[in-house]
Amino acid sequence: MAKEVTRQHLPLLEEEGRAAATGDEYGRDRHYLPELPDEDPYQAGHRTCAGCGPAIEYRWVLKAAGQDTVVAGPTGCMYVANSTYLCTPYTVPWAHTPIASGGSFTSGMAAGYEAMIRKGRYPGPYPNIIVMAGDGSAADIGLGSISGALYRNHDALFICYDNECYANTGIQVSPTTPYGSMTTFTPFGKARPEGTSLPPKNLAKMMAAGHPHCYVATTTVGYPVDLMNKTRKGLNHRGAAFMHCFTPCQKGWVYQTSMTVEIGRRVVEAGLFPVWEYDPAERTYHYFHPPVQRPVTDYLAMQGRFGHMLPGHIASIQAQANRNWADIGMDVPASLREGEDPDKHLRLREESYSMPLNRGVGA
Amino acid sequence: MTTVHIEGPRAEQPGYGPGSRTPDGERMLAALAGTRKRLNGCAAAAYAALYANVDVITAYPIRPYTAIMMNLSQFVADGLLDAEYLVADGEHSQLSAAFGAGSCGARAFTGSSGVGVTYAYEMYSIISGARIPVQMSIADRTLDPPGDFGSEHTDALCTRDMGWLMGWAATPQEVFDKTLIAYAIGEDPRVLLPQMVVQDGYFVSHIAGEVEMPTAAQVDAYLPPYRLPFPLDPRRPVSHGPQIHPSQGPPLQLERARAMEDAIPVIREKTGEFAAAFGRHYPHFVEEYLLDDADIAIVISGGHSVTCRAAIRLLRERGVKIGMARLLWIRPFPSDDLRAALRGVKAVGVVETNLGLGGSTYGGILAPDVTGALYYAENRPLVTSFMAGLGGETVPAAEFEWMAGKLTEALDRGRVEKAAHWVGFEEGAS
Repeated sequence: MAKEVTRQHLPLLEEEGRAAATGDEYGRDRHYLPELPDEDPYQAGHRTCAGCGPAIEYRWVLKAAGQDTVVAGPTGCMYVANSTYLCTPYTVPWAHTPIASGGSFTSGMAAGYEAMIRKGRYPGPYPNIIVMAGDGSAADIGLGSISGALYRNHDALFICYDNECYANTGIQVSPTTPYGSMTTFTPFGKARPEGTSLPPKNLAKMMAAGHPHCYVATTTVGYPVDLMNKTRKGLNHRGAAFMHCFTPCQKGWVYQTSMTVEIGRRVVEAGLFPVWEYDPAERTYHYFHPPVQRPVTDYLAMQGRFGHMLPGHIASIQAQANRNWADIGMDVPASLREGEDPDKHLRLREESYSMPLNRGVGA
Repeated sequence: MTTVHIEGPRAEQPGYGPGSRTPDGERMLAALAGTRKRLNGCAAAAYAALYANVDVITAYPIRPYTAIMMNLSQFVADGLLDAEYLVADGEHSQLSAAFGAGSCGARAFTGSSGVGVTYAYEMYSIISGARIPVQMSIADRTLDPPGDFGSEHTDALCTRDMGWLMGWAATPQEVFDKTLIAYAIGEDPRVLLPQMVVQDGYFVSHIAGEVEMPTAAQVDAYLPPYRLPFPLDPRRPVSHGPQIHPSQGPPLQLERARAMEDAIPVIREKTGEFAAAFGRHYPHFVEEYLLDDADIAIVISGGHSVTCRAAIRLLRERGVKIGMARLLWIRPFPSDDLRAALRGVKAVGVVETNLGLGGSTYGGILAPDVTGALYYAENRPLVTSFMAGLGGETVPAAEFEWMAGKLTEALDRGRVEKAAHWVGFEEGAS
């Protein structure tokens, strides 16, 4: 006789009052997290770059998920940098999958555990099943495979760790690479001064709109409590969940290594990466309204990949940010409106901005 | 021999129970036991997967193998088989999902035809390299272009060097039996390789034959529960498929090459055990038909062997000393058994039913392997090949007679005219 499949339920971390604990008057530290869970299934023993955003995301996701977890990792940075034969950073079972197989391999794992538990082959409970795919895997070559998995509603969490390029192969353009940044396949030059000329796919909205029965959320490494709670909500959700996580890439974006978390906040404060949650029961989006709104130059000028930008490019990105503010229900201050005018800008490397740490140009 | 070293406090593999069947499934198998059912090749494969109590099935439609999955979806819908039935978004995903399920310790079953087989190409080396013994049931089909539904062996043969056990079945009964035998070989801890059980599209997949239905207990005794030595199991964490340094590559490739060789004695053993358990005796690798006194022989695989046997009987009546060697397995290639089968033969003709454009014979894929095996024979026979049965065409008895004529000419002349004949496109063709 078929056995019942019992599932785990992970408690959420308290989100209120954290900024006050650091004396932060603006509320930027709302996700300050002194008491990380003890479990650390993503251990030492990997070879990621200093300041690697995806490594931070991996550690927090697996701390949130805990030890009764199975993880798949499609080809990408976090395959090549994490796993070195005869050495592994994982204390949970982990498997590499081909780059296009993030969704499909994970579907197979989920189906395997459902069947094995039901048929008495595996005692249960049903493990947390997670795949962490880069943006190349999730938004490009493996998009169909993840869409198929969400459509079939396997009980698993599908994560895109988005560093906005194919970083592992040497910083090539992906469908989430922002307009106006440079990559080694979209360099800037006299004939094409903007570098990347196409605007990015809106991956998370595509997943939510296209698979309305799924829990879908976006987050960044700037917000650890949010990231960990969305991981747990995604895992607790019975069925498929998709989380799009913004994870800066020091090597590809060219910024100071200590600024990864700061960039993870500024991208939200600049209106360039809306943080939200989609509730499949209500079929509604819940948008996070950041406590600070900044001009896009506060974000762009920290990164060498944007260092070639001309005034018109900056104005165009400010216009996109302003559309995002309106989309998430926030007012656009007049100063940001003015930023849509190219005449209000200099070349990016001559712009002044808060915390002028990096003036590099490169990718 | 595959070795798995896991040390430390969690070195012991946690237990995996035998999978339960559904009550309706138990009743159905009890009623079927000892009966003969008229099934086509697709249904035979599906019934075998039902008996094997597979855990995960990954499907995607393409003719003609689709009917395998249609049968299985009905078994699941009717509550006869407790399996996760996953309709993938393409063959690449289909194979990936089977790979994921197999990596967790679930018995996985998948399949395809034609360009579906080649669409999944990336996965073949990856699955065999990970040593995950999933099974893929193929009803073969011509590759595009043009869009041709008909049988041709090219699709599966394209993947022949990717580390999968691969064999052709010539009748529905053989499809049923080979499905079980292939699982038993592939899942054996001495082998741990994925398997392709191939049948000719339409000629086998869509023509009914009688298939003996065993008891569930017979199958369970022959095919014990799948037990991967290193599953993705939180009770004993392992990492699969890490990045390696170039210096670590050759030993792993050698291990996979040896697994293919090590499968040879296991194929013999499991074929023998199958005969003892089910009473149907198959040659280990090569079916020898009237070869004892033969001067010339046809080497063939798959369903066209049925016509070939009939043609040989006709030719024998006319005094032509001809026989047939049918390859039951293409990978691992049965070099020893083929040499032994053809030891007295003076001229050999390989029937290709596949396309190997620009290869060493300028014909098909099989002849270079057959020729390579026979090069080491004590009395090396003449070898030629025949391009026949392409695009889903039949290979009628008249064509086999024409081939016999070419082989007899070669025997008389002491050399073959050419390495590959396109049957029906040459002077004097039938």
